Amino acid sequence: MTEPESSQSAAKFIEVDRLIHEPARLAVMALLYVLESADFTFLMNQMGLSWGNLSTHLTRLEEAGYIEVEKSFKGKRPNTHLRLTPAGRQAFQDYRDSMTRMLDNLPR
Amino acid sequence: MSNTLDLKQLERKAFRSTYQDGLWDIYLGGIVVAMAITLYRPAGGYTPNNILIMLLIYTIIGGLFWAGKKFITVPRMGQVRFGPARKRRAKILAIVLGIIVALQALFVLLTVGGWLRSVFGDNLIGFIGEENLGRLSVAAVGSLFVGPSFLVIAYFTDFPRGYYISLMMALAVFLMILINNPIYPLVLGALIILPGVVLFIKFLKKYPLPRGERSND
Repeated sequence: MTEPESSQSAAKFIEVDRLIHEPARLAVMALLYVLESADFTFLMNQMGLSWGNLSTHLTRLEEAGYIEVEKSFKGKRPNTHLRLTPAGRQAFQDYRDSMTRMLDNLPR
Repeated sequence: MSNTLDLKQLERKAFRSTYQDGLWDIYLGGIVVAMAITLYRPAGGYTPNNILIMLLIYTIIGGLFWAGKKFITVPRMGQVRFGPARKRRAKILAIVLGIIVALQALFVLLTVGGWLRSVFGDNLIGFIGEENLGRLSVAAVGSLFVGPSFLVIAYFTDFPRGYYISLMMALAVFLMILINNPIYPLVLGALIILPGVVLFIKFLKKYPLPRGERSND
């Protein structure tokens, strides 16, 4: 690989959606990608994250428009239902494609 | 391993986690245990009271299962809706079950029409007796109704323990009809319920009820 090609590849790594690239958020996005929707408790149990930690990541994803948060009450208990928005689904697909391309092209 | 496969595994793991409360095992085991009463043939034949009790028993078992899912599992585990792939599988399951039921109905009609006698012949009837052959054929048909249907359900609902449960159920139906002794469904039902109870206890320990009324955000 010549130097300009190499630096181009390196630049592509930097271009990766960093919001999704963070491991906990990547896990949230991947899980919501394969589900229609899930509530906060389900996500927390599946990923083994603490309440606060998951909440922080979800807030960031919501701010980016990647997830849709629907709040309601079940009796007296608050319930938060989450799903990927079309933009979030597209962003995850783009992230997956770009990571696959980059990693597949690396020499073994 | 490709990314696609990883996502499939992720979805499957999430889906199968919904079975870890053991309530399906307890529910289906409960149905098998109830067969001890509902499939038992009283000497005087069935009365409307027998039928009423059968309906009541299955309603209670179904109600307990529903209540367990609603008030024990969901508050601990959370709620989830699975994607289109699962809905497709459910549709295929409905079609396959429809075909199985149609085949079974055809089989019953053929049996009633004397097909069984012409296939097995008088030699077999002479060997085990006409009454026993009748009971054997009903037991075989009964277990063939239950076994394959539940195997198909277990496959399409991605429920590995369902294969074991379907075999136990088919065996329970077969023995109960053939021998008319309640001990068989009681024992086989217990063999289904016990692993379910163990899973249920593990589930309660693993997923304690979230305390307080903490906001999700």
